[in-house]
Amino acid sequence: MDKKIVLKGINLIGLIILVCIFAMPFVWMMSTSFKTLGETMLFPPTWIPEQLNWENFSKAWNSGPFLTYFLNSVIVSIGILLLQMCTIIPAAYAFARFKFKGDRFFFGLTMITLMIPAQLIFLPVYLQMSAWGLLDTLWALILPFSSSAFGIFLLRQSFKQVPEELLEAARLDDATEWKIIMKIMIPIAKPVLITFALFSFITHWNDYFWPLVMTTSDAARTLPIGITKIRQVEGGIAWNILMAGNMILVLPILIAFFFAQRQIIRAFVYTGVK
Amino acid sequence: MPWIKLRPYAMIAPSVIIFCLFFIYPIFYMIYLSVFDWNFVSLTKDFVGFGNFSSLMDEREFIEVMRNSAVYTFLTVFFTLSISLLLALWLNKQGAVYSFVQGAIFSPHIISLVSISMLWLWLMDADYGLLNWFLGLVGIPSVTWLTHPDKALFSLILVAVWKGIGFNTLVFIAGLQSIPKDMYEAAQLDEANWFRIFYKITLPMLSPTLFFLAVISMIGSFQVFDTIAIMTQGGPINSTNTFVYYIYENGFRFFKIGYASAAGVVLLIVISLLTIVYFRLLARRVHYR
Amino acid sequence: MAQIVLQNVTKTFKDEEVVNNLNVTIKDGSFTVLVGPSGCGKSTTLRMIAGLEPQTSGDIWIGEKCVNDVPPGKRNIAMVFQNYALYPTMTVRENIEFGLVNKKVPKEERKKLISEISEIVGLTPYLNKKPQYLSGGQRQRVALARAMVKKPQVFILDEPLSNLDAKLRNQMRTELIQLHKRLGTTFVYVTHDQVEAMSMGDEIIILNKGVVKQVDSPMDIYHDPNNTFTAEFIGTPAMNIIKYEDVRGLLPNVGDQASFIGFRPEHTSIQSNALTHDDCLVIPGEIVTRETLGAEVIYRIKSKVGDCQVKTFLSTVERDSNVFISIPYDDLYFFDRNGERLRDVAVGRKTPFVLEGV
Repeated sequence: MDKKIVLKGINLIGLIILVCIFAMPFVWMMSTSFKTLGETMLFPPTWIPEQLNWENFSKAWNSGPFLTYFLNSVIVSIGILLLQMCTIIPAAYAFARFKFKGDRFFFGLTMITLMIPAQLIFLPVYLQMSAWGLLDTLWALILPFSSSAFGIFLLRQSFKQVPEELLEAARLDDATEWKIIMKIMIPIAKPVLITFALFSFITHWNDYFWPLVMTTSDAARTLPIGITKIRQVEGGIAWNILMAGNMILVLPILIAFFFAQRQIIRAFVYTGVK
Repeated sequence: MPWIKLRPYAMIAPSVIIFCLFFIYPIFYMIYLSVFDWNFVSLTKDFVGFGNFSSLMDEREFIEVMRNSAVYTFLTVFFTLSISLLLALWLNKQGAVYSFVQGAIFSPHIISLVSISMLWLWLMDADYGLLNWFLGLVGIPSVTWLTHPDKALFSLILVAVWKGIGFNTLVFIAGLQSIPKDMYEAAQLDEANWFRIFYKITLPMLSPTLFFLAVISMIGSFQVFDTIAIMTQGGPINSTNTFVYYIYENGFRFFKIGYASAAGVVLLIVISLLTIVYFRLLARRVHYR
Repeated sequence: MAQIVLQNVTKTFKDEEVVNNLNVTIKDGSFTVLVGPSGCGKSTTLRMIAGLEPQTSGDIWIGEKCVNDVPPGKRNIAMVFQNYALYPTMTVRENIEFGLVNKKVPKEERKKLISEISEIVGLTPYLNKKPQYLSGGQRQRVALARAMVKKPQVFILDEPLSNLDAKLRNQMRTELIQLHKRLGTTFVYVTHDQVEAMSMGDEIIILNKGVVKQVDSPMDIYHDPNNTFTAEFIGTPAMNIIKYEDVRGLLPNVGDQASFIGFRPEHTSIQSNALTHDDCLVIPGEIVTRETLGAEVIYRIKSKVGDCQVKTFLSTVERDSNVFISIPYDDLYFFDRNGERLRDVAVGRKTPFVLEGV
């Protein structure tokens, strides 16, 4: 009996330590974002700021054109998501439901794309964008991701699970193919679509590499780049302002995670379970 | 009815065009560029054949880049997977407490690498960083996490492991949950001990997940860029310079397009090999139900 | 309402002929059952009528119109599927309404139609529920309502009762028969269950390996089968078929064109001695198993001419194991080498005869 309680206690302590290792850095980030520059240098460090310096946030926000960054981030993430919905739904439907010459070839092509990371091909894409005059525009950030092999893969799976009888029933009900997609397939695949949407939005909201490569002017840059520029603005690193800037980037995602934790985890773990 | 025949092509066309324009064609373009000497601004490209590749191999810096990438990838994957597997066995339980802990360890995965890099830059600050303060509490002298050439790469690995554990653990848990319960019940009836059950049932049944995660995190680790660009810029003295950062610097800083493309082709080969090995192993060794 | 005509309809999948040169007329207003073992082509035939599967060659007529190039939605057909095929994300009302919306029926009329139909099938309280919250029988009703509301020329039902439990299946069977009477529309019904075929159809089409074996009313099929396949397929237990050469000595006048003789288990009786009645074929045998089903008893009997089944309605169970079975000559069916029925063959001899030994 006693042994059981001791084991339970050890287990609980272990869990607490585990949570600390993964959550503490964010707490530290938040704590720092409210401190004065002087307090960040204090040794030993303070966990609770002496006072809440809200002006760190406005300082971070005003250290550059943050409204533009923010709007760009929104436009890019939402724009990619909307375009993806328009491209992956018909493609997934065609791959799931039609037999046509070359269907396996085209699906293979899509799956290969899944394996090619953007970090591998940024240089040739950069030259292409430059040739088309799209460098340093939001188009360069949106277009390459306006379809998603991963999305097609996920959606095709769930379209395939819809029994053929259901489509036949709809065809006998005189429904057009378009109507079948809109009224039957999409409602059935809704959970998967939401899952994918979360995955896509978070991925592109967080993206640093692609905007760094494709844009040079503030007018086309997004939040993650804007935040790294806070560091360059100040002489030494003003950690409190920098962390306040990071809070602006992280907070929307953390809030979303707080409310839709289950779905977001599912969205990302899907990539691993297939 | 030509429309019926054309319809599927029309439906996949937008996606296929995007994939070809932005993924497939660039691969070939990169291979093409890798045999030229070109600085991006000049009007002519000079054909140099395999010249770029041989100068890559002669470059001490590039050899270091490959070594750094290999060390980074191997250690990151090894530690991430082994810790994740242990955590998965531990945390694979129902209940609010466990789902909270799972959520907590997963949270770094959805946070921008930019913020994670800056946060750890701050945590690893040699003078005012929290990590050194913790070390000080237990009587260990301060560590120059990111400023010492022998330590910087390991500091980056630490960050990568920290970020990757949550995701990998949850994928492992999903894998564990897909193992049918009756297998364990049968093993218990056969009076198998804990270790034998793990070794004979759990591990083989988990092997597809394990291989999948191994390859995905290897490919991911070879592409590491954000943490390096923000935390070390490849330094000190080239000790944390890896593939993508090297390609980025040569292409965008020194405008050696052909040379950078050649490095990109080398990375392409590495990733392709990993992918092929993955599918081979999956087809042959990995246990399938 | 319309009759359906299939003219020389053939369907091949890859190299395999699933339906071979089918010529059938399904009468206007009939309840026609397509029955046959699995893989006989009955579902394919049904799906070709619905337009879900194009025929490889031949013509299909519904009413006055050749529908070869008419898409399923325009054939004025309604189908009830084996697994109901209800749209899972729509409520019962939306399920029923879907076809009407596609046909651009005005809203007021839709409302009227739906309330009428749901009243008929007893779904009114469930109109706003999703299918997943309904029982199997209720889902079946939704599928029916969805079909009925379109007022089609032809109803097509693909094994609609196979997912229901036995009791509900009986109840739905009766309801479907009543529904057919009330609507007077042509029903085409596919099943592999000959009991269902016999009890529901007023016309039965028996298919085997893509070929029509017989088209007749249930009673004609039972009493007057065209071939051994039909004879064995309809009736439980199946008709006993023995080789003529094994009993030639007993029935010498039949003639050699007969290869097989059939007799139904329920026309056969068991006696404990070799005493023969007039006009009966008597065969000695040994009882292997007895299935006592209450009102009837089914015996499996091993005899020199092969295993036979006998169904008796006597309340006393035969205890002896060595018995004699006897079949009146009038209840014998003769078939030729290919299993085709020989209708003009008669026994031609009226003296009883006993086969010696077991």
